[in-house]
Amino acid sequence: MPAATDEELVRKSKEDDERAFGELVSRYESKIYSLALRMVRNPEDAEDVLQDTFLRAYRGIKSFQGASTFSTWIYRITANSALMRLRKKQLPTVSIENADERETPVSIVDWTPGPVEQLLNKELQHEMDEAIEALPPEFRQVFVLRDVEEMSNAEVAEILDLSVAAVKSRLHRARIKVRNRLAGYFGDNAKPKRRAMGAH
Amino acid sequence: MLTCKEVLDSLSDYLDADLKEDLINEMKRHIGSCQDCRAEFDTLTMTIKLYKHEHDTPAVMPVGCHDRLVKVLELEKLRSKGGEPPKMV
Repeated sequence: MPAATDEELVRKSKEDDERAFGELVSRYESKIYSLALRMVRNPEDAEDVLQDTFLRAYRGIKSFQGASTFSTWIYRITANSALMRLRKKQLPTVSIENADERETPVSIVDWTPGPVEQLLNKELQHEMDEAIEALPPEFRQVFVLRDVEEMSNAEVAEILDLSVAAVKSRLHRARIKVRNRLAGYFGDNAKPKRRAMGAH
Repeated sequence: MLTCKEVLDSLSDYLDADLKEDLINEMKRHIGSCQDCRAEFDTLTMTIKLYKHEHDTPAVMPVGCHDRLVKVLELEKLRSKGGEPPKMV
């Protein structure tokens, strides 16, 4: 017998079918935990986000209209829950309007030669983790959904209730911030090249 | 002809192939001839590759995480049905 679709499970859950909701939990819990962990970067907080997400889904399933897919809906709840947790923890809050301090490094260090495996040592992983943690929460959400979960701009826009243009703008700024941090890490070992902006 | 600033502003879209074809060609030409923009492009590309490589497998839920989630949802079901949650001992 083919597995029930999400739509069927949602419909049954709305009719108080506990097993159907349980099936949705089993289907999505790992994905939600993984997404939450990438956003909040702490196992305890990720578990809190997971529980909060399914509690909200359980309470809200009857009012879920199906305008988006269940997965989009549950990811939206996860992203909001993670964002609230990050905002609570991040003191003082960095507003994204103030977050666009110099996004282009003064000197460009080309540290790219060499395979990924060769570059990715523990120290660099730590540097990268810190760079992600330093991102304003709203940037981090977009970065994780686009570059890690590999969702499309349109999907991320729907999940975060943003325009596609806003997603693209935040993604670009987030990528540049992370890159600049890595450029700083590699800066000591590579020869910097001076950039003359607008030369071409 | 594109300036370096215009190239940098569109670098993410270029990387995602999310530009019109003529702009992609202009970007390609500029990056091919400008060492600084080439470094910008290479380092941004590698940043994304590194991050994806580090996170290419989904995180595994900790032991007991599923059971705790089920318990939380069971308590919520009891509450929503007006029942008393079991007392913690």
